[in-house]
Amino acid sequence: MKTIQRTAIAALAVISMTGLAACGSDNDAADTTIATTDTTPATPNITVSGQWARTSPMATDMGAAYMTINSDADDELLGAKVDMSIAMMTQVHETIMDDDGAMKMQEVEKVDIKAGTPTELKPGGYHVMLMQLKAPLETGSTISVTLTFAKAGDVVVEVPVQEEAP
Amino acid sequence: MNGMKTSMKFWAAAIGLVFIVSACGGDSASELRGYQAPRAKTSAGVVVTEAISNAPFELKAADGELLVVYFGYTHCPDICPTTLVAVKNAKKKIGELAANVDLAMITVDPNRDTAEILPKYLSSFTDKFHALIPANQNELRTAEEAFDTTSSVTEVDGEIEVVHGGTCYIVDSTGKIVDEWPFGMDAESMAHDLKILLQQTREANT
Repeated sequence: MKTIQRTAIAALAVISMTGLAACGSDNDAADTTIATTDTTPATPNITVSGQWARTSPMATDMGAAYMTINSDADDELLGAKVDMSIAMMTQVHETIMDDDGAMKMQEVEKVDIKAGTPTELKPGGYHVMLMQLKAPLETGSTISVTLTFAKAGDVVVEVPVQEEAP
Repeated sequence: MNGMKTSMKFWAAAIGLVFIVSACGGDSASELRGYQAPRAKTSAGVVVTEAISNAPFELKAADGELLVVYFGYTHCPDICPTTLVAVKNAKKKIGELAANVDLAMITVDPNRDTAEILPKYLSSFTDKFHALIPANQNELRTAEEAFDTTSSVTEVDGEIEVVHGGTCYIVDSTGKIVDEWPFGMDAESMAHDLKILLQQTREANT
């Protein structure tokens, strides 16, 4: 299983460096003061696993990608994008089944990501929908999907193309 | 009335799913894992135009075979390919018996699914299929009524929204709908049912 991690280390490093620079060198108590008064939450640490995109059937220009998203803090998945050389349009969709068993898809504004609770994008539920594919998604290839989160920002995931869930 | 009927059908399918789960740990090797209507419906005499030949195709299996009937559309990125890959893998699991399993996909989106597109799409999943494109609304609705399903294609904010059933229907050579696979049924369970139904077909023919 391939895991792409976007750690908050870089962000934290920037924050702490800024903090250190701001407090200067003339105040010995500055470090502890900053640590106790800084209530800004850390950037959520997002982990994506089990990602895959379905091999696109012949004669269609639609594709879908699935994955499991984990975060150590609450966040929101706001959207997804791929390079225009892969597909012209990318959206996060949800398949909904009504009481009669009829299915339809709709774009979602956001997907809530709860701290410590895996959020699954899977067949019959949420999925990253790739529209107007430039070329078929072929088994064995890999596409880069950029997920945009409200707090964590952009997270790039390398997604292997395969027929079925890993 | 219809809403109530279909809603009951949904619950029956849900109960069927519970049975699937219990069947996995149980001993019901000879029991079907799909859903069987208490009074089996029939699609005998119901025809939809076949894309390649442009001839009417009657929705029933050839002698000694089973026909998997599916209502879908090629712009469907999630439900349709998930189901069709499961059917493909179910056929792989039953080896030579797969030669007796045919697939008919009826597009619910005939404006976009042309005779050029639909057969190519299906050939990604199997080499034994019927690509069916309803010649008119009446042909589509008549077929849907036979299977007690519905669909719609509407334009919402410039985007085409398609609603369709996600079920696979298994039809025998008399046109009887002998089994239904709700969306999400896995290839293993489909293969399990196909083996039982093909065995019954052989027994009926001898």
